Amino acid sequence: MSRVTKGFMFLLLVLMFIQFIQPPRNKSRQASRMDITRVFPVPEKIHGILKNSCYDCHSNNTRYPWYAMLQPGGWLLASHIKKGKQELNFNEFGSYSRRRQQSKLKSIANSIKDETMPLSSYTLIHRSAKLSQTERELVTNWLEQMRYSLL
Amino acid sequence: MKLTILSMAVSILLFTACNNGSKTTNNSVGGIDSAKTEVAHTEADIRTASTKEVISAYLQLKNALAKDNDKDAAEGGNNLVKAIGNVDQASLTVQQSKVFKDISDDAKEHAEHIGSNAGNIKHQREHFEMLSPEIYELVKAGDKTGQKFYYVNCPMYNGGKGGNWISETKDIQNPYLGKAMLNCGSIKEELN
Repeated sequence: MSRVTKGFMFLLLVLMFIQFIQPPRNKSRQASRMDITRVFPVPEKIHGILKNSCYDCHSNNTRYPWYAMLQPGGWLLASHIKKGKQELNFNEFGSYSRRRQQSKLKSIANSIKDETMPLSSYTLIHRSAKLSQTERELVTNWLEQMRYSLL
Repeated sequence: MKLTILSMAVSILLFTACNNGSKTTNNSVGGIDSAKTEVAHTEADIRTASTKEVISAYLQLKNALAKDNDKDAAEGGNNLVKAIGNVDQASLTVQQSKVFKDISDDAKEHAEHIGSNAGNIKHQREHFEMLSPEIYELVKAGDKTGQKFYYVNCPMYNGGKGGNWISETKDIQNPYLGKAMLNCGSIKEELN
């Protein structure tokens, strides 16, 4: 065997091996007592938008795409979800202090307005998660209202 | 041979990539230690030291933003994270402690974001805008330094929504608009 084939075989072996290291899944079957719907009135339409465009990374339940089964794709996904949940978790929103809730609402609105969220790398694959202008306005207006209710 | 090395490098990279997240939690340990050693000082000392440190890190951040310096602002943000972690709650007055408990987790988060966003001064300023009223409350809850502070308002920031900040001088140095409108702003309130 030539060196090139050897290297290639080795890489293949590594790839095969890493398939066995599956990160734990972000799937909670329980309804959270600290969910945002317990703290604020969330209209059905808004909730739908949040679920569709935000919850994959910002809740305790991810709808996994097929490549989550393939490593290292799944690892990348797991690290994104971990970071996303650390920043903001809609299922744990009620556990934040009142002040932190205010800041979060404002930051969410800011990042939606700036179109930094949902991440472009995410909407590239999840086309339906991309927010339209009207959806953006709908959500940010609601966020503003909720923030004022906390003042 | 090259390929073997390459493939090994790739696999090492892959293994380390997923372990990155777990290391960040240990950062605060050093901070707690240094807070404990400070207990050796007299009580009055600590009382001023704790909130003073928070406020001086905030001012460092504010002055960096006024100079449009995102790197120094990030450093100020990181110092603020440390300072908040260093505060010995037992040394605060009842009023201070109440305010501190209320603001600390949120203020720390804003400071962390500012610290990690060198290169994005707009984002740093967004967090600074949310941070400032919290520091204002902390100053207002009483700080024993007796130093005078000013609560300043810039009506132009954020498309006319405005923004406030705490300043140690009467001289106005706008942290939201920086060099573009350095002297824009008016004093709303004098503190202490």
